[in-house]
Amino acid sequence: MRPDDAAPEAPTEPGEPTTETGPPTSDTLQQGPAERPRRRWGELVLALATAALGVYVLVAAGSITVPGSANTLGPRAFPYLVGGMLVAAGVVLVALVLSGRAGEEEGGEDVDPTVRTDWLTVVLLVITLVVHVFAINVIGWPFAAAILFGGAAVILGARPWWRAALAGLVLGLVVQVVFGGLLGLSLPAGPLLEGVPFLRG
Amino acid sequence: MDNFSALLEGFATVLHPVYLLWALFGVFIGTAVGVLPGIGPAMTIALLLPLTYSLEPTAAIIVFAGIYYGGMYGGSTTSILLNTPGESASIVTAIEGNKMARAGRGAAALATAAIGSFVAGTLATVALTFMAPVVARLAVQLGEPDYFALMVVAFVTVGALLGSSVPRGLASLSLGLFLGLVGTDTLTGQQRFTFGVPNLADGIDVVVVAVGLFAVGEALYVGSRMRHGKIQVIPVEKGWRTWMKRDDWRRSWKPWLRGAAIGFPVGTIPAGGADVATFLSYASERRLAGKERRKEFGKGAIEGVAGPEAANNAAAAGVLVPLLTLGLPTTATAAIMIVAFQSYGIQPGPMLLQNESALVWALVASLYLGNLMLVVLNLPLVGMWVRVLRIPRHYLYAGIILFGALGSYALNFSPVDVLLLVLIGLAGFFMRRYGYPVAPLVVGMILGPMAEDRLRRSLAISQGDLSYLVTSPFAATAYAAIVVLLAVGIWLKRRERAAA
Repeated sequence: MRPDDAAPEAPTEPGEPTTETGPPTSDTLQQGPAERPRRRWGELVLALATAALGVYVLVAAGSITVPGSANTLGPRAFPYLVGGMLVAAGVVLVALVLSGRAGEEEGGEDVDPTVRTDWLTVVLLVITLVVHVFAINVIGWPFAAAILFGGAAVILGARPWWRAALAGLVLGLVVQVVFGGLLGLSLPAGPLLEGVPFLRG
Repeated sequence: MDNFSALLEGFATVLHPVYLLWALFGVFIGTAVGVLPGIGPAMTIALLLPLTYSLEPTAAIIVFAGIYYGGMYGGSTTSILLNTPGESASIVTAIEGNKMARAGRGAAALATAAIGSFVAGTLATVALTFMAPVVARLAVQLGEPDYFALMVVAFVTVGALLGSSVPRGLASLSLGLFLGLVGTDTLTGQQRFTFGVPNLADGIDVVVVAVGLFAVGEALYVGSRMRHGKIQVIPVEKGWRTWMKRDDWRRSWKPWLRGAAIGFPVGTIPAGGADVATFLSYASERRLAGKERRKEFGKGAIEGVAGPEAANNAAAAGVLVPLLTLGLPTTATAAIMIVAFQSYGIQPGPMLLQNESALVWALVASLYLGNLMLVVLNLPLVGMWVRVLRIPRHYLYAGIILFGALGSYALNFSPVDVLLLVLIGLAGFFMRRYGYPVAPLVVGMILGPMAEDRLRRSLAISQGDLSYLVTSPFAATAYAAIVVLLAVGIWLKRRERAAA
């Protein structure tokens, strides 16, 4: 689907210094044979997880209480069907992966099909999100939002870091004013801004 | 014609200055977010849903109509001006429109897409106006097994037609059905798969799942393999008067009409929505082009932009027919719209046109209006959309994550929902990475509980006799249609693969 003339954009210069976070460019040269078995392994785990979830659903469905009055199809029937479908899909997928027919990963405007997966970025983004979750009730939504936006932007390659942090803080406060103050969503402003009237939901 | 007067009343509501402003706001924000790379129509709606939470229903629906059409349209600008293909519905536009832009005819491509979307969108909205009441009248006569059959059709088409792998589609659909099971059983009040967590007794919120899969999952996936380097946006020549030459008009108007004729019916049946419509339109334009013109296809033929873009917007209106009259979502976008309607306290279905007549006609009127605003807004604002396309990607995806988190938090103001969002986002990341389509999951999660309800009611009526499910003529036809649709789907996929 990708127009063939889009290819030259891929970073191909080995050892070229990059200012952004991301995989070292030398990795891109040795993908292919090195990457295939690894990818299949991860995919196998996902297929097995699908089947395992199906088995769990089938087992757990047996312990759903059926009230005596339920005449024909009780609350267990549909879970059994869903569990069966999950197991069937999982088993077929395991077979497909083992026979070497891996899935086509998704494309996208900003996805570079030639680079290897940068797991560090994914892990850091998830950590930032979790920090955001626990920060909301402690320091208030606008500051938690600043952590999330600034953190995610820096992880994804924004430099210098303080500009991203500043942008996050401004964005958090603007959203607080617009959504909390004007649209009436009750976002907690946090202990610092507790007394400011136009930030209240 | 009482429908006509009802529509006029709808216009009377919408033309109120405050509502006009809301409509303009909806179209503008819908297009702006739809233009952003990496954001398809389904994600646009999921992300912008919190904007409408605190509005009263009429205003919310008017904003929402604008967001829907704007989001459907916005993607074409992206695929024409950016180097890489955008969301699936506009991939064929990316082939032709992008080539046109490279050849210095980007303005003509944008103009034919905008005007074609307007023409086809308006024709399709007219068709919706006439068809919705008819279908709603028929829908009232459908029994429980008929509805169940319709839902099975939707499961099969969404699971098997979308994405390139049937078992992966099935896995995604089943996962969605499982998520739909979590919570309290509506018929017996028993808790299912709640793991003893009180928050789960009410079920998992679909908005969290949709935002998690589409927004957070996409951001994580893009983050894992970000395209670095300069963003290349193809420049567009200035001055809108010269955008479409006489020859462009001559070559565009027939594809617009054909696109509308293909898009609307394909949108109304559960057959994969806009993707299938745009592809069919592209294929037919290519076949109908003369010998000389056919050589231009693949190198920037204006027919290849005009037809599919028109079909895309016509299908967007077509999707609303089963959505409003049957409560049946046929695409992921439609599935999220059902959630939106429910959050305004509106239950789409056969009774909707009777119970909420004023609201429905206000929605239809704002669709007409939104379409007009789109064309008026988009041609002069192209310079702005070009700037939107240049947003640095680290800020773009950080923003997507932030608004996704805001949307889930704003549901119940509980951090637990945001934590759930992170988990589902991770699932979305792995699904993207290994080629599992995410749309069937969302559709399965929304349709699953409805389908279970219909199935159990049917079997309660028939006292357990399974043959009751297939004996009504409508249900029997629906099951026969599944066989036909599967055959057509396989054939289409072969053709698509051959064309790619």
